[in-house]
Formats: sequence, C-alpha cells, structure tokens
Amino acid sequence: MNDTQELQQLEALRDFFIARNEVQLAAAYAALNMAVSFDLPSVNDWEALEFSFNRLFIGPMAPFAPFFASVYLEPEPQVMGKSTLITRQIFEMLGLQSPWQESLPDDHLSLELDACIRLLTIRQAHSSPEVEDLWNYFLQEHLAQWLPSWFKRVRAAENLPAAILITIDVLAAWLAEKIDSLKSTDRRLAHNE
Amino acid sequence: MEKLKQKQMEKTLACNHSRRRFLQGLLATGVLATMPSGLLQPLLVEAKDLLNEAEYQIFRNACPRNCYDTCSIKSFVKDGVLQYVEGATESSFTAGGLCVKGNSYARQLYSPDRIKYPMKQIGRGSGNWKRISWDEALETISSKILEIKAKDDNLLGLGLTKYSGNFGITHYGVEGMMSSLGYTTRFVGTPCWPAGIDAQNYDTGSMWCNDPEDMVHSKYIIVWGANPAFCSVHTMKYIYEARERGAKVVVIDPLLTQTAAKADLYLQVAAGEDGALALGMARHLVDKQLVDREFVTRYALGYAEFEAYLKKNITVTWAAEKTGIPAAEIRQLAEEFARADPATIWIGYGMQRHVNGGANVRAIDALVAMTGNIGKTGGGARYGHLQTWGFNYHAMIQDKPAGSKGWLGKGGPMGEFHGASGDQQAKYRDRTVNINKIAQEILDTNDPPVRMLWVACKNVLSQDFDTNKIKRAFEKLELIVAVDLFFNPTVEQADIVLPTVTPFEDWTVNVSYWHYWLSLNEQAVKPLYETKTDIDIAAALSKKMNAKQPGSCTFPQEIDSKQWMEKEFNQGIYDLFGIDSWQQLRQGPVKAKLKSASFPDRKFLTPSTKYEFRSELAAANGHAALPEYKAGRKAYGPLRLLTPHSKFSLHSQFQNLDWMHDFNNEPFVYLHPQTAKSRGIKEGQLVRVFNKIGELSMKAKLTDNVPTDALLMYESWFGRKNNFNVNTLVDDESSDMGAFKTGAPGVAIHDQFADIAKA
Repeated sequence: MNDTQELQQLEALRDFFIARNEVQLAAAYAALNMAVSFDLPSVNDWEALEFSFNRLFIGPMAPFAPFFASVYLEPEPQVMGKSTLITRQIFEMLGLQSPWQESLPDDHLSLELDACIRLLTIRQAHSSPEVEDLWNYFLQEHLAQWLPSWFKRVRAAENLPAAILITIDVLAAWLAEKIDSLKSTDRRLAHNE
Repeated sequence: MEKLKQKQMEKTLACNHSRRRFLQGLLATGVLATMPSGLLQPLLVEAKDLLNEAEYQIFRNACPRNCYDTCSIKSFVKDGVLQYVEGATESSFTAGGLCVKGNSYARQLYSPDRIKYPMKQIGRGSGNWKRISWDEALETISSKILEIKAKDDNLLGLGLTKYSGNFGITHYGVEGMMSSLGYTTRFVGTPCWPAGIDAQNYDTGSMWCNDPEDMVHSKYIIVWGANPAFCSVHTMKYIYEARERGAKVVVIDPLLTQTAAKADLYLQVAAGEDGALALGMARHLVDKQLVDREFVTRYALGYAEFEAYLKKNITVTWAAEKTGIPAAEIRQLAEEFARADPATIWIGYGMQRHVNGGANVRAIDALVAMTGNIGKTGGGARYGHLQTWGFNYHAMIQDKPAGSKGWLGKGGPMGEFHGASGDQQAKYRDRTVNINKIAQEILDTNDPPVRMLWVACKNVLSQDFDTNKIKRAFEKLELIVAVDLFFNPTVEQADIVLPTVTPFEDWTVNVSYWHYWLSLNEQAVKPLYETKTDIDIAAALSKKMNAKQPGSCTFPQEIDSKQWMEKEFNQGIYDLFGIDSWQQLRQGPVKAKLKSASFPDRKFLTPSTKYEFRSELAAANGHAALPEYKAGRKAYGPLRLLTPHSKFSLHSQFQNLDWMHDFNNEPFVYLHPQTAKSRGIKEGQLVRVFNKIGELSMKAKLTDNVPTDALLMYESWFGRKNNFNVNTLVDDESSDMGAFKTGAPGVAIHDQFADIAKA
C-alpha cells in the first residue's frame, strides 16, 4: 500500500464512520472500495445497512459499540473522559480543533482518523523526532489501546453486516501494519544503539 | 512506546506551553499550510485557552426530578467537562450531600447510551432507525400538525402527555408549545399524589406542609405510608435529630421499609386501611377526652358532627380488625400521639394510591387537627406544598394562533404546580382527558381521535398503567413523537425521537413541593451532540410551522434559554426568598422567608376559613362531607401487589445507568416465606407473577418484611436488556379523589392483586 492509497483508505474509513445516512455510507464505502486492493462485499440494501450501523454505533438505543475512545479507555465507560481531553490536546498540537468542540466528544473515531491523516501528511512532508514521538504516542498509547477492544465488540455483534465487518477488518489491518512498522523501527534503533 | 518517551509526551500534552511550542515548531516548517482539509478545523487562537490548567469552574444546578428533596447541586467543570457533582452546602436541607441517584448524574450526562440525534423509526417498534436532521424531524412533525388541522378543522387530534421527568419551571414551555399551536388534547392529572391534594384542600383549603426542617422540634413523629430512607434521604436527618432530642418515631406501613427498620415502633397496617386506623385512634381520643377543644371549637368547622360520626360508627376493636393492629396498640399510639406536643404525621403518597386514598388522607388530617397539631412548629399533617411555586410560567403561557378552533365542552387543562386552569372566558378550550388512563382515553376519544401524541418529561410505557393496553392504544395513533434522554420503552414505540438535555446543559430554576429552598440551574456544559431543551424545540418547531404556514404557531422562534429562565422570576418570588435578583442564586440556593409552620395563624383557605371536618365542597364533589371510613377495593386476586419506589431510581429514571446496574442489576419479587412455602417457591427461584391484565417473570426473594398476603416489586427498568415493568400488572383503576385540583383522579396503584407461581 503506498502513501496515497493509505490516505485514501483512511479518508474513506473516516467518512464511513461519520456518515449520517445510507447515501453517505454508500459513498464512503465506494471510496474505500477504490482505495483497497481487493473487492469489498457488495451491499444490496443500503437502508438495512444504515439500520445496522445505527444499532451498532449511533442509537437511539444504547449503541452496541459506540466509537468514542473513552468508552474503552476509562475505568468506567463514558464519553468526555480523560482520554477525550488527551485527544483534544493532540489536535491542538497539530493546530487543529474539532468543529463540534464540547458537543461531540473529540475522541470520536472519525475525528481521530482525521488526525491520523494530518499526522501522516506532516510526516511525509516534514518529519522530525518530535513529530515521530507524537505519532508514536497517538498510535501506540491511544489508538492501539482502544481500537482492538472496539473491534472485538463490533465483531461480537449479532447479524453483523459483511460491509461493516470488512471496514473493521481494513482498519484493524492498517493499525496492525502501523504498529508492526513502529516495532521494527524500534528494533532497528535498538540494534543500532 | 518506550516508557521514558511516553512520559515525556504525556508531560508535553498536559502543558499549555509545551503544546504551543510544538505547534510553533510545526508552523515554522510551513507544513501545516499544505495539510489536506478534513473534519478538523484550524485551531482558533482563543480556543487554545480552553485547555488551561485553571481551577474548576463551579456552577449551580438543581435536581429537577419528581422527588421530595429537589437537591441543590454544585457542579465542578474543567475544560468544558463536568468532572463531578456535590450537594450544595448553602442549603441546610441538601446540606452538602446527594442521594445515590444525584451522585450518579455525571454518569447520566456522559453515558454513551444517550439519545444523540433526532431519529425516525421505519416501522414502529421495528428497531430500524434513521438519523435525521432537526429540519427533517420538524418538517415531518409540522406537516402532520397542518394535516390534522386541515382534516379536522381544529388541532384536537394533537395530544400532549407530559409529567414530571423534569420539573424545571421553563419546561412548562412544552405546554406553552401546545398552546401556541392551538387547542389540543391534554392528558391532565398526575399519577403521583392527586387524591391527597384534594383531601387536604377539602380540609384546609390548600395543601401546605410545615418546613420539613422544623421536624426537629417534633416530640412525636408518625411516618405514615412514606419511606424517606429511600425517597427523601435528606429528611431523615431531621427525624434522627428529633429523636436525639427525645421524640418517638413511629412508622405505619404495610411493608417493613428501611425507614420502618429505623423507627422506634413499626406498625404493619393492612394496605388501604389507613383510614380505619386513623378513625379508630380518633375514636379513642374522644373516649379519653384527649381532643384539643380549643382547636376544634375556635378553628374548625363540623367537629361535633365528626365526633358524632365516630361515636356512632367507629370503635377501636373495629379498627383493630380492619387494620390488623391490636386494639391495645392503637389505643397506646393514639394516647402517645395526643399527649406529645408538638406531634406530627408525615402522610406519604403511597397511602393515598388507593380507591379510598383521599378518604384515608382526610381521616389522618382529622386526627392531626383534633389534637391541635395544625399550625404548630414541629406539628402538622405533612403532605406537600406549593407555596414557593409562584413563578411567571412565562414559557407556558402562550397565545393561540388567531382563528384557532377547539373543544366546546367544559374544563381546560389544569396542573397542580402552575395552577393554570385555562381561560374560562374563551369560546373554545383544550380537550382534557385523564393522564392516568392514557390507553383507554386514546381508545375512546373520537371526533376527532387523538392522531398524534407528543411525549415529553414522561415515559408512558413505563410510568402509565396497564402496559399491554397502552401498546394496543398506541396502534391507533398516526404519529408518536418522544422527547427523551434515553431509549426507554416509550421511545421504542415512537415514530420520531428528539434528543433532549440533562440538567447540566440547561438553564432553569427549581423549587420543591416539600422543602422551602429555591435553586438556580445553570448551563454548566454545552448541550452534547444535537440535543435541545424543551423550549428550544418549541422555538424550532414554531419557526418551521410559520415557514410552512405563517401565523400557525405563536411560540417565539428565536429564544435564549438563559433569558427565558430569567423571565420566570417576579417580585413575588424575590420578596418571598429575600433576594433582589436571580443572580444572587449564583452564590447558592436561598430559602423562603416563611414561618416554619403552615397555617401559623390557623386561618385556613376553606370557604369557612376554618379547618373543615365537614366539607360541603367535598360533598358537592360527590364525596362524604365528613372524613368518614371508605372501604378499599375488592380484591381481584389472592395477593395484594405493592409496587413502591426503589432507592436506585425515580420510577424508570436512573435505573438504566451503569452505577445503578452495579448495585441493583436484577428485579425481584419479594414475598413472605409462608406465602412462598404454600406455593412451593424457594429463594432465588424463577417465578411468574400474573393477574387479569398481564404476567411478569423474575426471581423470588423471601422476606418477612412483606406481609403474608402481599407481593412486593419495585417499579420499572429499562436498558441493559431488561424492560421489566410492574405496570404490566397495575391497572388504571382510579383513586377516589384528584379531579378537584388536578383535573383527573389519581390511580389506585397499591390496590392491585396478583398471584405467583413457580415458572
């Protein structure tokens, strides 16, 4: 996967998880299909997918797997936890803020994926040890701390649509690859030292 | 990540200067200018200061739930996030402490389970929901309202059921929204306390309890059909203090409650026979010449007739048979009560939720009155009060659109708190139906039928009676709109749900129907997601209505909820509480400048201005003029079903939160070991509880806190895979009183019967 593909994938995932309706879900899914190197399962009934998406992530019933980091990182699940604030601080370091500050928790998955896109862009254009440290922190100490729990919860859902499962798989694969690459860099650095 | 680097990064993140230095470094490289656009926006300069290391901001809040205690809350906010809440220390009533429910408020505000967006359900009850914009939600709603108007030539097809989910004064804007649309159908009355309200109004011309804080001066306290250890924890300290000072504390209840467990004496009265006990005590006082002759001659009307009634119809032996309490204990209780000075009775709401509930309250009132305990500090027949509720009801009072047509019959909406009873001069009125018989009223109401139902501050399918009948009635409705915080059984059956706010995202003002304090409720944090307050919803609907049909809604289209909070205050409120402006409430709650005793001059608000043992008004409204014995409901099953409040919830509110689930994760039915044995039921066994209207299954717990002829279950649940609801087994039989002051009789919640068997 090259850098452009990676960013396209992340953008598609970001847009998928912040979609408001079946049209936006379908558009993001189509973009994801373009960005991955295999064919995603086709979706016959987008309305049904929207219903499933809402049951899993939105509501109005208690969502099965809410996509806010603090739900998984706090000792007791909640939104607007300490980890939400850390995400906000990371955005700030990048000169960014959520347009929904204080009304949507900053650690919404899509906002975090957006921050990943910015960080990867910065790294491509002008990396520095400080930027690398921030990236490593965000990836290892934040994303890798909650996303696996979230993946697990989503995968445990009954009647999980294949289209949602594949988006989770794509995101999980990306995360695993990034963690692996960091570990190999760490090993290399340790070896050199 | 390497531990050292991780720690360094955490230090950088936590420090304003370090974060800024990092950002300045990035800015210097010019890389930020080339970043792609996305969801996140460029940081505004002022936003940087949001994340500082400042101290907590403290806000004033109030618990707006339907609870005696209406706690004054201090909220601690940092970085725009509510960190924790405390009881306000400035209120001697709240006294720095909250109950288990109040302490869990942050769990409510930040629960991932909250309803976040307007949504519509495709197929009622299907669980298939679409997220929609506010604009789309209001488009659907306004179109339906206009369609109803066009079809029926009036708006009576639009019904409102709203009660006590949020008692903030601005929330009467929901009623205001209905008025601003036209003449509608209003579900009026209250499931809570109406029989007692009427009873006290017949006796005293009002409902006015002493300040609960003056209970410390009581020498004898009878807590009768109330369980403050669960339902008014802040009042317990006054009861304890009174006991420290030498008072005797007696609890009368069919159940050995947590309050009873703490009393000096517990008397297990047969449910619904409270009137018989009070009258038996009264008869004994007559026999023993322990009546306060000064009170009954100077300040009362009809005492002689009451005494004659007692002598002719009541004996202590009879009372003992009716109540199950031995005659000797009744005599002793009566004598102790009459000889203590002052003595008081706290009349709980539980004991008036019977077909003879109002009559029972009148009998107890009479007992307190004949011992001269009314108008005394530390005395009183304590039920509730509305002395501090004199707000403007600015949000509620809205004009009808010009040319509105409505109901030509009598009446108009009433409410126990706001006191409004409609414009009696107007040609048309709203159509009023009984809130406690929502299912039957929907089924029976035609010409026009209720086509659309707006549900606010209420969870119909948990709170209202005969759940299965409500589900059938809902099938008749063309559109159900529910405004709520969480996905409860009513939202489950709604077509559209609109997300609303917690007290911490709202501006309003709160008072209690028990204590005398006034609390400001400030917006401590911004409303989360796309939630709106009730009055913001009304304004948005008005804008949509007027865009579609100019003049179709009079509710202001742009409002500021803080200003609307301010508009609820008036000079009368300021004078009563001794403040010059509402801003003073930012320093903490204030208490009404009232004497601690109600009716301190023993002038009553009855037609005679006296305490009326004989009430012609009661007679005119179809009741006995005297506080006579009235028999209870005939049993329709082998065991009485009692369904009181739990300490973990206010009906269904709070029960869905994780903290409650940690301590109270499963509903049980509690029954006496003898009752269990006769049916072969063992502790922890799965059982069925059933009667003529429904069936529930749950595990059994055996306890002799429950009488042998009764079953105990605590109210309702929702969320966490449990929609247990006792109202599946509680029918909508009316109590005797309530229509006089609240527009509809109450419900005989504790006159229910069922049987139990192994599942």
